[in-house]
Amino acid sequence: MNIRLVRVDDLLGMQACNLQNLPENYTLRYYMYHALTWPQLSYVAEEDGKIVGYILAKMDGREEDVPDDDEAHGHVTSISVLRSYRRLGLAKRLMLQSQEAMATVYKASYVSLHVRKSNRAALGLYRDTLGFTVRDIEKGYYADGEDAYAMRLSLKDLAR
Amino acid sequence: MPPLATPPARALPQRESTLFKEVLHHYEDRQLKKGLKAAETILKKFPNHGETLCMKGLILTHMGRRDEGFDLVKQGVRFDLTSHICWHVFGLVQKGQKNYDEALKSYTQALRFDKENMNILRDAAHLQTQLRHYDQLVETRHTLLRLRPQLRQNWIALAVAYHLNGNRTESKNVLEQFGRIVKNVPDYDVELSEVLLYHIRLLEDLGEYKEALALLDTNAKSRVIIDRVAIMEFRARLSSKLQSEDAQQAWQGLIEQNADCYDYYKGYLSNRGIDLDALTDETRAQALQTLRQFVEQFTRAAAPQRLALAVAVGDEFKELLEPYLRTRLAKGIPSLFTDLKALYRDPSKRDSIESVAHALLDSLAHAPDAPCPSNIDPTMYIWTLYFLAQHHSHLGRHEKALLLLDTAIVHTPTLPELYLFRGRVLKRAGDPYGAARWVDQARLLDLQDRFLNARCGKYRLRAGLVKEAEEVFGLFTKKDAPSPSQDLEDMQSLLYLTEDADAHRRNGDYAMALKRYIAIQKIFDDFEDDQFDFHGYSMRKFTVNIYLNLLKWEDNLRSHPAYVHAAIEASRILLRLYDDPSIATKASSQSHLSDADKKAKKRAKKAEKKVQEEAKKASSTSTNEDKGLEAVPPKDEDPDGMKLFQSPEPLERAAKLLKPLSTLAKDNVHAWTAIYDVAVRRKKYLQALQALQQAHALDPASPDLHVRLIDFAQRWKVLNDKVAEKAATVLSSSLAKFISEDVPLERFNSQYLQTHSTRGDSILSAAKASQLLGAPREEVEAAVFNVLNADVGLELETAIAVDAFLAEIQSPRVDEFRAAAKEKFPLSTVFSPHAELPALRKSAIQLAVAEVNAEKEEVIS
Repeated sequence: MNIRLVRVDDLLGMQACNLQNLPENYTLRYYMYHALTWPQLSYVAEEDGKIVGYILAKMDGREEDVPDDDEAHGHVTSISVLRSYRRLGLAKRLMLQSQEAMATVYKASYVSLHVRKSNRAALGLYRDTLGFTVRDIEKGYYADGEDAYAMRLSLKDLAR
Repeated sequence: MPPLATPPARALPQRESTLFKEVLHHYEDRQLKKGLKAAETILKKFPNHGETLCMKGLILTHMGRRDEGFDLVKQGVRFDLTSHICWHVFGLVQKGQKNYDEALKSYTQALRFDKENMNILRDAAHLQTQLRHYDQLVETRHTLLRLRPQLRQNWIALAVAYHLNGNRTESKNVLEQFGRIVKNVPDYDVELSEVLLYHIRLLEDLGEYKEALALLDTNAKSRVIIDRVAIMEFRARLSSKLQSEDAQQAWQGLIEQNADCYDYYKGYLSNRGIDLDALTDETRAQALQTLRQFVEQFTRAAAPQRLALAVAVGDEFKELLEPYLRTRLAKGIPSLFTDLKALYRDPSKRDSIESVAHALLDSLAHAPDAPCPSNIDPTMYIWTLYFLAQHHSHLGRHEKALLLLDTAIVHTPTLPELYLFRGRVLKRAGDPYGAARWVDQARLLDLQDRFLNARCGKYRLRAGLVKEAEEVFGLFTKKDAPSPSQDLEDMQSLLYLTEDADAHRRNGDYAMALKRYIAIQKIFDDFEDDQFDFHGYSMRKFTVNIYLNLLKWEDNLRSHPAYVHAAIEASRILLRLYDDPSIATKASSQSHLSDADKKAKKRAKKAEKKVQEEAKKASSTSTNEDKGLEAVPPKDEDPDGMKLFQSPEPLERAAKLLKPLSTLAKDNVHAWTAIYDVAVRRKKYLQALQALQQAHALDPASPDLHVRLIDFAQRWKVLNDKVAEKAATVLSSSLAKFISEDVPLERFNSQYLQTHSTRGDSILSAAKASQLLGAPREEVEAAVFNVLNADVGLELETAIAVDAFLAEIQSPRVDEFRAAAKEKFPLSTVFSPHAELPALRKSAIQLAVAEVNAEKEEVIS
């Protein structure tokens, strides 16, 4: 089980992993856009050449509706691990690597993400294991109408 | 006054000249209606003004009236062949159509008439990159730099151009010059950091390790390079290459930063002279010692422990194995088996794993009907059963695997993994229907999990249940998509398209199968197009290293297994069409759409078209909506694939599909046999023979090769086409290297059979060959039945292939074979009598989707 920075060769594997696990899917172009804009932020978990988990991350500009927020922040577009590779702490490890890069390369002050209200497993990971807090509820965020928790984690102690 | 050089037809009087400038401005601001109006005003007086016609055409294209627009643009160009505007517009529109070759020609023309137009030069550079015309690219980038040396990206783009053109030294020179003149860089500038990382990579590629390291250290210290991981990785690699003392520390630092990355351990060990892929007794001991230290230092990391298992042998291996297995089985890690599978290449390790796991199981086993004793961990018990089931099934012991799984399921009926794997075992044993049902049971245990859903869909496809598969996939696809298949195709699901295509193919629905394989081809075309925008974007973002990796990946794009498989299978279908065009008309009459369905579809299509046309009329000149230069792909006009199936030139289409494989899949025997099949029908005998030579170099005993050697020899004997004398000599002598001229083909065939008499696939191949050679059907049948002999290693796939072959030659002994095969593969259902098929298909669905939805609704409301 290899945890390493994303390579272009991995993008199709990430896409396949995403399609198997999550209903929120993207064309390859979108993966390319992430990797070629912020090459330091996306990581994969790989076994014998197969992508079994990934984190697809980016940086976001300032949030328009938060006037005092002129800080750059990281954002997790998508993260998932194949069901057959769970219980290895992969999601946590992927997230930690990405956060570190957000803080050191881009001086991100915090990282944000969205999670389905009903996704208890993911909520547990973000809130309990990684220390995210719920910032907001975005009604009807997902295509099937489900609400999302907008979550946030400060990276102030990671930045150097 | 317009310049004297302007041809009289281009010059416009004051009023129209002003209007034309307005047209350009309106276009730039995307004020499409205004621009159109202004253009039409000019054209009233000057209907043949090329530049205005072109601009009008461009605007119409943006408004969605693409065909009209394109025609106007072409007209405009014809009226003013020396206008850079006309050629530029022409190029823009062609680029939007993804016709990059023609677009570049237009841009090149435009540059003839306006050599220093930055926009045109930039677009030309992107096209040159896309088309891999790197020498032209260098020239264009030079011009751009000369025109605007103050733009940082022009420097970087030139360096990249040299690099792509194979001139790393010149690339380095450009970067050095750039480094000297760049000023006023803000702190923590990500862009400059990336440029420097590129420069260092370049130096590393050139072998100038000292210079690379120096550049790295200087800029890392001064915090100009801010990517810590990259700094550490470069430092470790470069120090190793320089055999510097700092190297070990550098690798250690990397491992501390990410203890889960195998590359770092390999780098560390390699730096100490230990090659993990080529261990000696001495290096093995050293490696193990180092790894043990890492295990102690990084207790949470799995990598050093797993590497230690790969390195250790004998008793040391067993010693490390037991705790490794025990902790993971106690934790209940589903991927434990796939983790250890690579170790099975070593039979003694495989046996150790089996004995250790069984010993653990024995210590955990307890009576099934009594509650679990307190000293036994039930979780560990279940996962040990699961692990051993995977182990035994992997080694072909499917019955044993099923026993273990059934024990586990009785104990813990709610664990989806158990049902999933039970399905997998049945699949391997040749019962796709039972497999689908068990995987469906797994799915029903967690309806929120897309992974289980996807598996269920896949297993239904393996059982040939395409409609039922689409139903289940549809539980997770977008509700507003035209169909689940369309959504999965839009989201580029190669897995779905491949499995669905294969299912249709096995069902004999070649039209639908071809449609899906071609959909895969189209997706790969889209992947190729995707890089285009990055030629400019990455230069603006300065992310050069990964951009270069993108280009390299694109160069090898069609080596991807999904493309290779689709190309080969599609070519086989196209060859069927070529060999027997009547199957196209037969398929049409058997199309799964009934007459009533077809009429309804036609009516619906007509209605939809009417709505579309009305919408078009309404919107065409009434909105400013910019639809861009790229057309939106049309709705699916060929739902059952019949149009595609009946398209002309199947042979040429097959050749086009296979072409990339000769370079990108050259280690794949099946690619070469497919190339042979097409080439020989196209009468390209040299190419055909070369394909056979390639296949032979890879696997001289290949059964697929053998039958084609005979096929070729036979065709060559009776050839009445005119082949050039020189070519004929080459062909004859090359063929003679495989089959001596004095050996009759029947003897060659029986010699092959004798040499490989215990291989089922070789027996089948020899039988096919003898059929080619005209042997009577009874003889061919008898030959094929030999696969059932006791001394023959018969694989399930081969038995299935024999079954298909017997059906193809319309053998009356098919049922006899199937009965015998069923005895060889007792768990299988693929050889069950045809009469049982409907019941089997029904049994593959655990519970109808509609019934489950009804249940769900009850729960929610």
